[in-house]
Amino acid sequence: MSDETFAAGFMDDYFAECDEHLAAIRRLLLELGGAAASAGPAPRAAVDELFRSFHSLKGISGMVGLREAEALAHHLESFLRPLRDGGRALTDEGLDALVAGVDALEHVIASRRDQRAAPPIDAVVARLERASPTAAPVEAPAASAPPAPQWRITFAPSPALLARGVNVDTVRARLRDAGVILDAAPQIHGGSIAFEFAFAGALDEPTIALWREDGLRVEAAPEPLAADAASTLPAAEMATPVGPSHVVRVDLTRLDDLMRMIGELVITRARLDASLGRVEGHVPAAEWRAVQENTQVMERQLRDLREGVMRVRLVPVGEILRRVPFVVRDLTRDSGTRVRLELRGQDTEIDKFLIERMMDPVLHLVRNAVSHALETVDERVAAGKPPEGTLTLAASSIGDTVVLEIADDGRGIDEAAVVARARAMGLEVPDPPLDRGRLLELICAPGFSTRTDTDRASGRGVGMAVVKTTVEDLNGRMSLETTAGEGTRFVIELPLTLAITDALIAQVGDRTFAVPQAVVREVIELDPAALRRLERHEVAPFRGGTLPVLRLGEVFSVTPRPGRALHAFVVGAGADAIAVAVDRIVGQREIVVRSLDDALIQVPGVAGATDLGDGRAVLILDLPALARHRAASLRRSMEAAS
Amino acid sequence: MHRTLVVDDSPTMRRMVMASLREVCSGGFAEAASGLEACEQLALGPVSLMVLDLNMPDMHGLEVLAFVRRHPTLKTLPVIVLTTRGDAESRTAALGAGASVYMTKPFTPQALAAQVRELVAQP
Amino acid sequence: MTTVAGAETFILFTVAGTTYAVRSRDVAHVEMVEQVTAVPNAPAFVDGVVFSRGQVVPALNLRARFGFERAAYDLATRLVVVQTGGRSVGLVVDGAREFASFDPSLIRPPSAALAGLSGRYLEGIANVADRLILVIDLPQLLLFEDPVLPDHA
Repeated sequence: MSDETFAAGFMDDYFAECDEHLAAIRRLLLELGGAAASAGPAPRAAVDELFRSFHSLKGISGMVGLREAEALAHHLESFLRPLRDGGRALTDEGLDALVAGVDALEHVIASRRDQRAAPPIDAVVARLERASPTAAPVEAPAASAPPAPQWRITFAPSPALLARGVNVDTVRARLRDAGVILDAAPQIHGGSIAFEFAFAGALDEPTIALWREDGLRVEAAPEPLAADAASTLPAAEMATPVGPSHVVRVDLTRLDDLMRMIGELVITRARLDASLGRVEGHVPAAEWRAVQENTQVMERQLRDLREGVMRVRLVPVGEILRRVPFVVRDLTRDSGTRVRLELRGQDTEIDKFLIERMMDPVLHLVRNAVSHALETVDERVAAGKPPEGTLTLAASSIGDTVVLEIADDGRGIDEAAVVARARAMGLEVPDPPLDRGRLLELICAPGFSTRTDTDRASGRGVGMAVVKTTVEDLNGRMSLETTAGEGTRFVIELPLTLAITDALIAQVGDRTFAVPQAVVREVIELDPAALRRLERHEVAPFRGGTLPVLRLGEVFSVTPRPGRALHAFVVGAGADAIAVAVDRIVGQREIVVRSLDDALIQVPGVAGATDLGDGRAVLILDLPALARHRAASLRRSMEAAS
Repeated sequence: MHRTLVVDDSPTMRRMVMASLREVCSGGFAEAASGLEACEQLALGPVSLMVLDLNMPDMHGLEVLAFVRRHPTLKTLPVIVLTTRGDAESRTAALGAGASVYMTKPFTPQALAAQVRELVAQP
Repeated sequence: MTTVAGAETFILFTVAGTTYAVRSRDVAHVEMVEQVTAVPNAPAFVDGVVFSRGQVVPALNLRARFGFERAAYDLATRLVVVQTGGRSVGLVVDGAREFASFDPSLIRPPSAALAGLSGRYLEGIANVADRLILVIDLPQLLLFEDPVLPDHA
């Protein structure tokens, strides 16, 4: 087989391993940056780890034939070499060059993943060669002497111990938890191999007894071990090698297959329910109860299984957020602002697919905040604000929804400028203050930008439009809060699951529709007689105010059945709320969402289709889209009327 | 032929080495991601060949090699050392420490397999 | 287009009395039409969507597409599910029961006289054993212009 074919089979492993190394590298760069900021020497352990990560990346990049990555890793490694001698501080210029190198490395790897041509790396390489990484030797803070070893612990591996889970890795972990490993070396005893650890830590009798049971020999250390030329370990913590562990790498498509299979199970169970319903009358009551119990247990187990598989796809949101400190750092350096970054809820979990889609939109919002929303130090002080601006990124999950917030305490959106720009584009806009939903719509309109110069840092006007379409593509929602002089907050809500969801089943005339439960705030009853007309719209009195009403029958040209009351789904909140009226709500079901892929059937207001158990396609409605469409039209009517 | 021990802290690298040697190493494989784990694998069962990366987090590959060469029975174990550095100094150091073969990454699967075939064919 | 030395297989179907053909390799399967769910605001010639082997496919009514009067579905009506350019689309036809095997070099471009509405969608006409078979140009058939969004005011 050719070299290329050979390497092609390992690309998934390669990318997964690169991801792990890059995450560690980012973490270490932050550590180095912190030390540089306090003008101290670069921490030796961090430099070593960083060096080793670059070295590993160089090796595997070479093996899979990604030459640019190999070259970059090689230069990053060479760059760090002088720093390893210890006692030297990393210069700002040096750190910048390092960060630029790592950024380039990430781009090169991403370009191979996306099967694009690799970006040119000459400029970055030249920069790394030019920048001098270290300042003059710095007085290291008086290092406290390492603790004297108190114990000598010997471990002889054997298949029997291995079977009980006692191997050199678990022994190391155990020792690290209990104290400090000062040295670890393999020893030859006759023909067998054992490991000797010099260990410092407090050990009580029960612990010693336990360790001895697990085959460890625990003795008091004879005398302080002299620094040994053959000593094998640097003092203190060892980095955990990327080795055989309890983690399994799974191809995302396999998880998709699993989800699809579970989806089929859900449908089959629905069919079973329908069939059972038909035989209920023919089965003795006692038997029927047993059947019911079993199907209920099965439903619960299916739900658990589905949630279990979904969990596997979840990764912490911190993955998107790890790039943010670097972006902020880059931008503040050029712009004269000082920014304090607050990251909250990094452990919140989100589907891996969503992470990849949301990365760019989130970074775009961050760039906007730092480059434009946050004022310079002087401006802030003059305005009576703390000199440092605050940018908050928070993630949380509520039930089936993940909420991402990007908030700043800067200038707030300049509504007058937005209105002026919109009017210049030919849009009809009322005078400020604007409804926040409308404001968001405007700034996300394609080609909209209040900046006439091409601003490299924030990109062109396409940015916000892409943010909006990405969020909508993912069945999510975005909203805006902003106050002049005080700040701006973007809130993005995304559904956690894409494939199976709870839905309310409704009927209009003889048509059945499904509405995802997540978007429905409330279900209410409306008295048709109480509806009032406003231009071409209807509104209903509701809780002291009015609620615009959208009749589903009209939207889909279906003749509704005349009835006493209308049932309606309330979608959206506050000023954006709207009631979507149907004839009857049949019930609540768990449905498998099938997408409508073909362009011939992609129409606004329809999010997909599902099978309720009889093989018929039932349309899944995108009520927020319908509501938005209607709200926009209603606003225009109201603006025209005022 | 007994197991072949593949020592490298990169899982991708280990998998590539094992795939390259699947035809040649009839006894199957053992893996280790660090120097100490390599020594443990050597203690746990017979090994006919070791493919050893030098760049490892706890024990440098050369120290593992030195340890193996001190062992009464393992001192004749064929060891292929892998590294990314290609300078003459490292080569000398590796061969001086007892490496049977010294290979630099990147290498083709065929090159590795050929080296192994030659090594295990020797009496 | 290369001339294939040898025959290719085609699936034949009828629409308003005329026989049309598509290449077998483009056809995923043929099934009876069960329930088609109308999709509001879809193009006029799209009857709606239907579940086919677990996938949601559009049901494109060929009578409507070719400008004929619509007819109610009956027991002979079939859904020919074709796959081309990554798309899966179902064609609603009056009947589909035959295969035909012939050399594609028998396909002649349609003459201007035979153009008409369906002529736009033809690759050509084949005369096979004294039978005229209109061979469909699938990508052209499935093409459509962006629908105009009605304003639901």
